[in-house]
Amino acid sequence: MGLLNFTRDPVPEAVSGDMHNLNQLSAQQFSELTEVLFRFLTEPKEVERFLTQLSDFATMNKISLGPLKNIVKSILLVPNGALKRNLSSEQVRADFIALGLSEEKASYFAEQWKVNSPTLTRLAVGQTLMINQLIDMEWKFGVTAGSSELEKVGSIFLQLKLVVKKGTQLENVYVELTLPQFYSFLHEMERVKTSLESFS
Amino acid sequence: MAALGDGDFAALQILLKAPSKDAVRQLCQECFSSPPAAPGPLAQRACPGLAVSAEEAEQLVSALHNLTRHVVYRGLTGAEDILCLFPENFHQNLKNLLTKIILENISAWRNEAQASQISLPRLVDMDWRVDIKTSSDSIVRMAVPTCLLQLKIQEDAALCGNNPVVSALTVELSKETLDTMLEGLGRIRDQLSAVANK
Repeated sequence: MGLLNFTRDPVPEAVSGDMHNLNQLSAQQFSELTEVLFRFLTEPKEVERFLTQLSDFATMNKISLGPLKNIVKSILLVPNGALKRNLSSEQVRADFIALGLSEEKASYFAEQWKVNSPTLTRLAVGQTLMINQLIDMEWKFGVTAGSSELEKVGSIFLQLKLVVKKGTQLENVYVELTLPQFYSFLHEMERVKTSLESFS
Repeated sequence: MAALGDGDFAALQILLKAPSKDAVRQLCQECFSSPPAAPGPLAQRACPGLAVSAEEAEQLVSALHNLTRHVVYRGLTGAEDILCLFPENFHQNLKNLLTKIILENISAWRNEAQASQISLPRLVDMDWRVDIKTSSDSIVRMAVPTCLLQLKIQEDAALCGNNPVVSALTVELSKETLDTMLEGLGRIRDQLSAVANK
């Protein structure tokens, strides 16, 4: 087997056997299986649903579930590696062919990869580490009417509640700003936006 | 804020023993800022110049504190209003001097009261930086801009006395989060303008 695009590590031996079994599926069956796989890849939290759909596929096509799961494990190696390395659909196709999948099926899968890759890329970027991610911001502003030191005040205050994700927990941070501080804050945030946009 | 009692005005007459008008002025300013529950240290510093006992000095400091705070609380701005506070038989010149000193300091004192108001933790500073994320364990090559925002937040000044606790909070915002935040801030600005124009 030549150099693969999706991985530099040696591929498990079972993979060529699994590809051979895949080639035995009809075009229709392969297309259904591919659909199930991509639905899982684009919604990786839906594990239960994925397993149910796999089991339904196995029953309908009279394939045993055990071997099917192994086949699926082998197939998934390629899109996972491809996502990490930003591979093109031609590279994905070439890798499947190198692993032993028929040209027709490899081309089909690569097509589906092309269609789904923006969603998948966005998901992978979303999983990238973020430190103290800002999740939400709530605010209120009002007028201070009086205090124990000043009977009548009449100054404006602005209170922000920032919801920050620290590790797995959410933490609330409360801050008060005066009006000049608010305008300065807004001005700085607009500068950040300009900066971010120039780098996008 | 309770109005001043006769004991307070009696104590104020001690100022007649003060060495100079400037000394009175100085004492007024210090008494305004001193904490009401602890007149001791300030009184001890004041009593040598006034040749009174420690106890009398404490009463004076308390009285001056109450007087100045009362004027600031009520928001009195005119000389007549302040003069009215004093009882009929109060020493005329001292009354005029105190009124004059109070009027000189009233706006600075008002600002000081407002600045030391209770509040939620206050924003004292903010800094930001924009990073480009080029690689991660989930994608080997990318170019995703992200913003790091550092907010310096000071706890309630009244709780910390002279040593305010400033904590720094660094948050990360993606471009989407920043856009949403700006939308929110824009709405605040619009509402503020609407309120200001009423």
